[in-house]
Amino acid sequence: MSFRGEAAIIGIGELPSRRTIPGLSTAGLLAQAARLAIEDAHISKDDIDGLVTEGGSIFPGFASEYLGIRPRFGTGTSMMGASGATAVLLASMAVQNGLANYVLVVMGQGRNPAIPEQGEGGANPATEFDFPYGPAAGANSGYAQVYKRHMHRYGTTQEQLAHVAVNERANAQGNENAVFNGQPITYEDVITSRYVNYPLRLLECVMPCAGAAAVIVTTAERAKAGLNKPAYMLGGATAVDGLSGMMRPELTVTPVARSAPTALAMSGYAPRDVQFAQFYDAYTIIHAVSLEDAGIVPKGEIGPFFAETDTTYNGKFPINTDGGQLSGGQPGSAGGLRHVVEAARQIMGKAGVRQIERNDLGLVNGNGGMASVMCTLVLGSENAL
Amino acid sequence: MTSEYRRPVPRPTMNPELTAPFWAGTKRHELWLQNCKPCSKFIFYPREACPECWAHGDDLVWTRASGMGRVHSYTVVYQPAHPAFGEFMPQAQVLIELDEGVRMVGNMVDVTSEEFRADPAVLPVNQRVEAVFEDVTPEWTLIKWRRVEEEPAPGSDSEPAENPWANDPRYN
Repeated sequence: MSFRGEAAIIGIGELPSRRTIPGLSTAGLLAQAARLAIEDAHISKDDIDGLVTEGGSIFPGFASEYLGIRPRFGTGTSMMGASGATAVLLASMAVQNGLANYVLVVMGQGRNPAIPEQGEGGANPATEFDFPYGPAAGANSGYAQVYKRHMHRYGTTQEQLAHVAVNERANAQGNENAVFNGQPITYEDVITSRYVNYPLRLLECVMPCAGAAAVIVTTAERAKAGLNKPAYMLGGATAVDGLSGMMRPELTVTPVARSAPTALAMSGYAPRDVQFAQFYDAYTIIHAVSLEDAGIVPKGEIGPFFAETDTTYNGKFPINTDGGQLSGGQPGSAGGLRHVVEAARQIMGKAGVRQIERNDLGLVNGNGGMASVMCTLVLGSENAL
Repeated sequence: MTSEYRRPVPRPTMNPELTAPFWAGTKRHELWLQNCKPCSKFIFYPREACPECWAHGDDLVWTRASGMGRVHSYTVVYQPAHPAFGEFMPQAQVLIELDEGVRMVGNMVDVTSEEFRADPAVLPVNQRVEAVFEDVTPEWTLIKWRRVEEEPAPGSDSEPAENPWANDPRYN
């Protein structure tokens, strides 16, 4: 498929380039350029539903937060000098495929003598407004605040979400690749494990590991001619929100509420048709709220769902059949990719002792930042085409 | 107010000139926020452009805020990222929603580590709080929070979270 003739640039914004620009930061310059571009295009800020940034220096979640936009399509290119061209290409693909109508591509670089050389982590509001208050490492504090808010809002209990960890550990016993294979745990183990970040207990948090994962993607035509039963890509979408809880309208709703409906609409299936799920699970809570936002369970009812539902590979609705990341370990970004690998493995019928029977339609979710960026995929067998 | 303060102080990496009025305010034991003249929204953290309407420059003005808010959510941190917090743990990292509609991260000054250790749920979500100002070094004053008596606003938290497609027949 070509996007020739399917996309166009309709507005431009450019600030004068100067040796230094006192008084303004990189993020502020981006905001000015963005405003010039929408004025030139005769669209409003609210029309923008896509965002492409450089990615390495400006994370799309941060740009989204700073600019106050919550696009349904977003990505960073991390392509260094080729980022501008790549971003326009991605934006073209996005609009052609219905992932966005108006994509903002914005890049820039501030040189402000009053702003110190960027140290660890670069320009970041957290170093000024968060770190003095003693957060935990990584994303623990943010996710724990989502957890506490969900408990408050819906009556969700730590006892209910403990089942996420218990069920995934059970699944890991059928997966020799899982870091906790051979180390089963009980419900009591989870609810008595020490607090890392109340309400998060140790066994509700992922363990960093070493490892890797990979997939090969090809055309449907080539896949059909091959020897393996293909796992078809039936739908996919991303969604972006801010980096911290400071700007989220509702802490307990993740961008999955926007990525999953788009991905499912593309596939022609509804949440009720989904037979199994492989969902990002760095913490019990992000796993839980993502399943709600995808429509697998109504909003606010994930606690009772996990308390009542066998989600192991022998269960009624199998989830993270390989043990997920909580019991499989998190080898960097391969942790998220492994959810895709396991979904494909189940559809291909290669899951061995943990093979599920209803394996024609699976939903996969990946998560980045503090639930800042989401990607939802619908994968299926030939029967689901 | 001593040189012994070893926990991180604010490190303005975004734009120190822009955020200076905020920290000058805390030194006077006042909470100041940016306000956007065209759309009248308050802004935090400070920005060079309004996240609501992208106004910038002179359209953004500093105004004194009420210093009142509610606990929107919180976590009790047991393992802080920075080792200097170690002896003060566990401690709550609270997410405060100010009456002006913006949120900021902080700590409670009137709930002790012992209280959190005994019951980490001791602090109610929606607890009414007011800003207090802690002069941690000669240069820096942090905003922290303490409980004040008042019932939570009725109904403010009873609506289900918005699920954009909850009523969409395609998915139900």
